[in-house]
Amino acid sequence: MHEVANTPRGRGVLTCIQCGRCTSSCPVARVVEEHNPRKLMEMIILGSRSDVLLGQLPWHCLSCFTCLDRCPQGGDVGETMFAIRNLAVREGNIPRGTLVQTQSLFDTGRVVTPSRMALINRQRYGLGKEPAVDVKDVQKILRKTCFSKLTSRGS
Amino acid sequence: MKYAFFLGCLIPAREPNYESSVRRIAPELGIDLVEMEGANCCAPFSIQSVDHMSWLALAARNLCVAEQMGLDIMTLCNDCYESLLMGNTILKEDKEIRDQVNEILADVGLEFEGKTEVKTFVDVLHKDIGLEKVKNAIRRPFNGLQVAIQPGCHLTRPKRIHFGEWMGVTALDELVEATGAESVAYERKESCCGGPLRGINDEVAQYVAKQKLDAIKAAAPDCIVTVCPFCYLELDMGQLEIKRHMQLKEEEYDLPVLHFAELLRMAMGMELEDWEIRAHRTPIARVLKMQEEQ
Amino acid sequence: MRKAVMVIGGGIAGIQASLDLANRGFKVHLVEKDPSIGGRMAQLDKTFPTMDCSICILAPKMIECAHNRNVQLLTYSEVKGVKGSIGNFKVKVLRKPRYVDERKCNGCGICAQNCPSEAPNEFDENLGMRKAIYMPFPQAVPRVMVIDKDNCIECGLCDKVCPADAVDREQQPEEVELDVGAITVATGFDMFDPSVIPQYGYGRLKNVITAMELERILCASGPTGGHLIRPSDGRIPRNIAFIQCIGSRDRREWINHPYCSSICCKYAVKDAVLIKEHEPNTVVAIFYIDLRAFGRGFQEFVNRAKSEFGIRFVRSSPGEISEDPSTSNLVVWFEDPTTRTVHHNSFDLVVLCPALIPRKGVGELAKILGIELDNYGFLKSADSVRKPLDTNVPGIFACGYCLGPKTGDVPDSITQGSGTAGRIAEVLVAREAS
Repeated sequence: MHEVANTPRGRGVLTCIQCGRCTSSCPVARVVEEHNPRKLMEMIILGSRSDVLLGQLPWHCLSCFTCLDRCPQGGDVGETMFAIRNLAVREGNIPRGTLVQTQSLFDTGRVVTPSRMALINRQRYGLGKEPAVDVKDVQKILRKTCFSKLTSRGS
Repeated sequence: MKYAFFLGCLIPAREPNYESSVRRIAPELGIDLVEMEGANCCAPFSIQSVDHMSWLALAARNLCVAEQMGLDIMTLCNDCYESLLMGNTILKEDKEIRDQVNEILADVGLEFEGKTEVKTFVDVLHKDIGLEKVKNAIRRPFNGLQVAIQPGCHLTRPKRIHFGEWMGVTALDELVEATGAESVAYERKESCCGGPLRGINDEVAQYVAKQKLDAIKAAAPDCIVTVCPFCYLELDMGQLEIKRHMQLKEEEYDLPVLHFAELLRMAMGMELEDWEIRAHRTPIARVLKMQEEQ
Repeated sequence: MRKAVMVIGGGIAGIQASLDLANRGFKVHLVEKDPSIGGRMAQLDKTFPTMDCSICILAPKMIECAHNRNVQLLTYSEVKGVKGSIGNFKVKVLRKPRYVDERKCNGCGICAQNCPSEAPNEFDENLGMRKAIYMPFPQAVPRVMVIDKDNCIECGLCDKVCPADAVDREQQPEEVELDVGAITVATGFDMFDPSVIPQYGYGRLKNVITAMELERILCASGPTGGHLIRPSDGRIPRNIAFIQCIGSRDRREWINHPYCSSICCKYAVKDAVLIKEHEPNTVVAIFYIDLRAFGRGFQEFVNRAKSEFGIRFVRSSPGEISEDPSTSNLVVWFEDPTTRTVHHNSFDLVVLCPALIPRKGVGELAKILGIELDNYGFLKSADSVRKPLDTNVPGIFACGYCLGPKTGDVPDSITQGSGTAGRIAEVLVAREAS
């Protein structure tokens, strides 16, 4: 629990009173039985580290912030999800789709890039050139924050 | 009014029709969009989920570009809005984090000073340009068009840093109604479309999108209007995907999805080009017919 | 000549303080801004956990206030200014015009029967109507009618039919200056307006009501004559949900009532039992975060509620309420704490238990008196541990819920009322002696 509390955006776990309002409001909890934000907080408080960090639950979260807005303790379930995901990534638990986006971000400075066809169409539709990204600067930043290490790209 | 135009990644990649409508509306309403040279990805939730500092540093870089331009940022995408707005708020409020981020930015010759504001297209229209001016620009209203608005999660949440309200009349409702359309109430209007999980967990994304579409369908609108490109994709393309994967014959949604910018553009008297009409996966012909004659 | 004292607020705490002081020989000016004394307790159906009829145990005290020679009732009046200090306060009280002569009116009600104009009945939480000339509630003290000029159409019928010639349409507001040695404030509470949290649908969905509205519905003298029926169609609700902590225990900046309001769990269980007594076949569920049933008799009461009455206690706080438009039934989504899965249930009626907040107008009163307020607008005790009933102004005391969420039930308010009476007597007698 303290590990999460000391991770950025993870302080919310210290104030959770297990009221269940987050789960009652969560759009994913209504369609996926295993997805239960309150239960996740419970697991953190009880110290089930591997279940939390190696499981899929945090990756089903939409980051829609409905839980955050309704939490009577001022809201940090939604924020805590980010802290958990940050920790999970460091354990090697990262969905393939997210990994693809991170790789694209490092290579191009964008999480998703226009296809060749899309670029040609831009000219046809009169939208001008694709806005250019300063990729070198992005890479410098991502190397400095060890992002690249986390996602096994770059030096 | 000049703004640093933050286009984001998704719109140039997949939704040039959104960009094109915004670029055509802007000069008519006195919005001067200045390109942000070299701006990078905002760092949406997928990236925030990987690493906190990386997000803040990337968001800060964009904020610095705007600061150097001396302009406020205008975003189109709700994800970009959330990322930059939250980043801006955290960096302005927390000195320790600001120093850490500036140390990283020093490597690329930038420093975050907290001099810019982050606004979304809806903000700009409603607060800066003003409802009156928007109403005065309407030439061909959509009288009686029943619109189910999908404001998207990050237009109004977290409430503590956003301007809007979740229920009742929001700025976006007023703007849509300025075009002559009617904003239809439906269950859980403020809830998520499922977009953030697109490409990461399509199954869950579809279930969530279905919940949303069912709620919208129950209100029997003529169309859906979005502001976020994720919502647009998830609801427009999503309808077809759901029908296909879940094999729902009777549940044919047939709900045209439009970007708010497109609705406004048409209401201002400008016609959509063929390619823009075809860019919609669910045909929008029915909406076009409901416009008042010139 | 013993100095007079003032009690501001005619609810149970103020009434008790007045009686205690009067019976010790002090002259008491009891100032109440509503046309009748009684306060919140008069609005309740039954009190917990004894299930006594609330007005039945309150009315004798109210009547005693009316008849006690040492109590002067200044109802429909407000404190407008205070000068001086302990032992010598000069208080300006504005007496609002009833347009009915208190000395002549005997409360027969013939005027109201003939009055053509109606307005929402505040005592019934605006659930029913009253006339423009009205008796605040059947057991009102003083038993005098009052005219609501905003809704009066000046037809003069009341004047024509009144057998006591008590209508006085020319009545003016009257300012009196009273010389008192000490003051106690007993202004009580309001309920937080749940429409501030749109997700619960209050104000938008017809069958979502507050607990106070439920009390009026259950009360035999209320808008439904004591029949448990729901607002949208008058049907008897077959399943009812109580939702606790609407605004209480809420740290979100835009709500900012992080405290527990103390009495809501208790009254919710009481109301649930009352409902089951009215309608044994109705299913009642209480959705809570923690069930706070402390003190004598309450946990036992909860146990009875579960075993004897079959009331469902669900430890899960729902985030929102939606409506089925065809039936006006309400859908509540919650996490079933036993299976850890999300469910939704349909209810005919939902009762919200809102946070309790300071009475409207207390801020201005505190300014006039020079009393400090806490972060939530409640009156601040001089020392919350050692001098809970004193305020920062010597000679001005406070009792009851205006001091904030205390145990908050009726015995507690009575205890505090008596406590301030004791404090006032102590300080004034000490001054007399010196």
